[in-house]
Amino acid sequence: MSTPTAVRPSPEVDEKPPAVRARGRREPLPYLLLVPSLIALGALFAYPVFLLFRMSFQQLGFGELVRRVTIWTGVDNYTEILGDPEFWQVVWRTVAFTAVCVALTMALGTGIGLLLVKLGRKMTIAVSISLVLAWAIPIVTATTLWQWMFDSTYGVVNFLLGTPGHDWFASGISTFGVIVIIIVWQAVPFVAFTVQAGVLTIPEEYYEAARMDGASGFRAFRAVTVPILRPILFVLAFLSTIWDFKVFTQVWAVRQGGPDGQTVTLPIYLYDVGIASSRYGLAAAGAVVMVAILAVAMVVYLRHMLRTELED
Amino acid sequence: MRKVWPNALGVVVIVFFAFPAYWMVRTAFLPTIDIQSDPPVFVPTDGTFDHFVTAVTRPGFWNYVRNSLFVTLSAVALSTITALLAAVAVARFRFRGRKAYLVLILAVQLAPFEALFIPYFLVFRQFDLLDRLPALILVYFVSILPFTIWTLRGFVAAVPAELEEAALVDGCTRWQAFLRVVLPLLGPGLVATSIFGFITAWNEYLYAFVFMRNEDHYTLPVWLATFRTAFGDDWGGAMAGSVLFTLPVLIFFLIVQRRMVGGLTAGAVKG
Repeated sequence: MSTPTAVRPSPEVDEKPPAVRARGRREPLPYLLLVPSLIALGALFAYPVFLLFRMSFQQLGFGELVRRVTIWTGVDNYTEILGDPEFWQVVWRTVAFTAVCVALTMALGTGIGLLLVKLGRKMTIAVSISLVLAWAIPIVTATTLWQWMFDSTYGVVNFLLGTPGHDWFASGISTFGVIVIIIVWQAVPFVAFTVQAGVLTIPEEYYEAARMDGASGFRAFRAVTVPILRPILFVLAFLSTIWDFKVFTQVWAVRQGGPDGQTVTLPIYLYDVGIASSRYGLAAAGAVVMVAILAVAMVVYLRHMLRTELED
Repeated sequence: MRKVWPNALGVVVIVFFAFPAYWMVRTAFLPTIDIQSDPPVFVPTDGTFDHFVTAVTRPGFWNYVRNSLFVTLSAVALSTITALLAAVAVARFRFRGRKAYLVLILAVQLAPFEALFIPYFLVFRQFDLLDRLPALILVYFVSILPFTIWTLRGFVAAVPAELEEAALVDGCTRWQAFLRVVLPLLGPGLVATSIFGFITAWNEYLYAFVFMRNEDHYTLPVWLATFRTAFGDDWGGAMAGSVLFTLPVLIFFLIVQRRMVGGLTAGAVKG
């Protein structure tokens, strides 16, 4: 449910607060101030997470819910869902879809971020305004809007490409293409602005030093810009990965996973199994697998980041 | 001449990112006959408000506006108050467990709420909240809370502790010092943070779609996403609805961009 706006540079976790009021003795006040947020997170976040794990070991459908019975089935849900070829097809499809979205977002975002630094003042403002427009537009508006542009009869895309009447939503690949465009179109501005901000923090002296050492143009870029941008790009790639992997709205609003289930990704699959077919226990097991995959992605990125930081 | 290539690329970028927004506004104001013309009208010469009239006179439209406003504002108010307390604690006090709390907040910010709709569904069903707006308020509240705490903490930390100390020296109680010195300086921070929360909750679709089965309880995103059935093939109406739904977000977005540039406290500790 996060918007890209929801993450901006913040002070480090272990940065110490000013010592005002901290007079060495144990005070109850800070703990009291944390109580409301801890209750909210406990009741509305930790408890649902606990329920998710618990029900993934139960046979829980509409019937069990109405009769208020609890049937423990051990790992049956996991055996069933992990043994289902359709589930694996959905998993790999989601992984591939995420990879394409992240690769395109990062490539375009980085390119445009670097371009912003190169442009003159007026062009920088013009490009920034157009990026902010795409960034600020709500997701549901964006999906509606792009569907209109890709409309087979009156859509502007068919006119511009000279393909009158072409139905972009007839095949899975082509429907995915439209979904990827919608996601990338909205995700690039955040990456571009972050890269631009990263480049602007590089002191001009670094480039002067590089010039003195005889490195200019592309070599200065490789020696100065790339190392400074690398950690920023890793964070951006990581955030894009976890955001794109769990995308529901764009995929659902475009064709509800269609045509013929060909654009069903993991969150859509969980909806189909869990809510539409009322197989809550089975869907919970699927959700746990989804969380596990995301956790693996997080670990891979964290390890990679730690390694590169040790190298530098 | 060196700037030709960057500028050419810049124009391509502008077209790709701004054209869809332009097309949305163009379609919203274009008479239906022109929307369906071939070739399309790129620069309209006459406009109409018909599609906006169609959109706002659709059955239920104002009801959806009310639902969206009620849910979003309640969630933002709840999370801002809760987060302000927590932000003061972590920005102003040293205490055991502070770091663990911050790590917890960071981790929850990355948590996939998209994987949790099934347990929420069952909890709300149990408490008879399913298909009621308070269910959405609770989910939006908790999903924007971690980010609100994290951001507000930065704003509280930016208010110089010396100001509060001075107030205490002058005989204020802690509560008075907070109310009269810190809170006014937090104004812009509270506005900016609430706006980010507002945008997130205003745009949310998944939970509104899963929980709100009764059409009377739809929020605007759910209504807009059903445009193909709601509007038939009326793209003018769909685009007018999209413009109306987008406007508050766009305005707020621009406010935050300005407000995020601080500077209010600069000079407050001088002389």
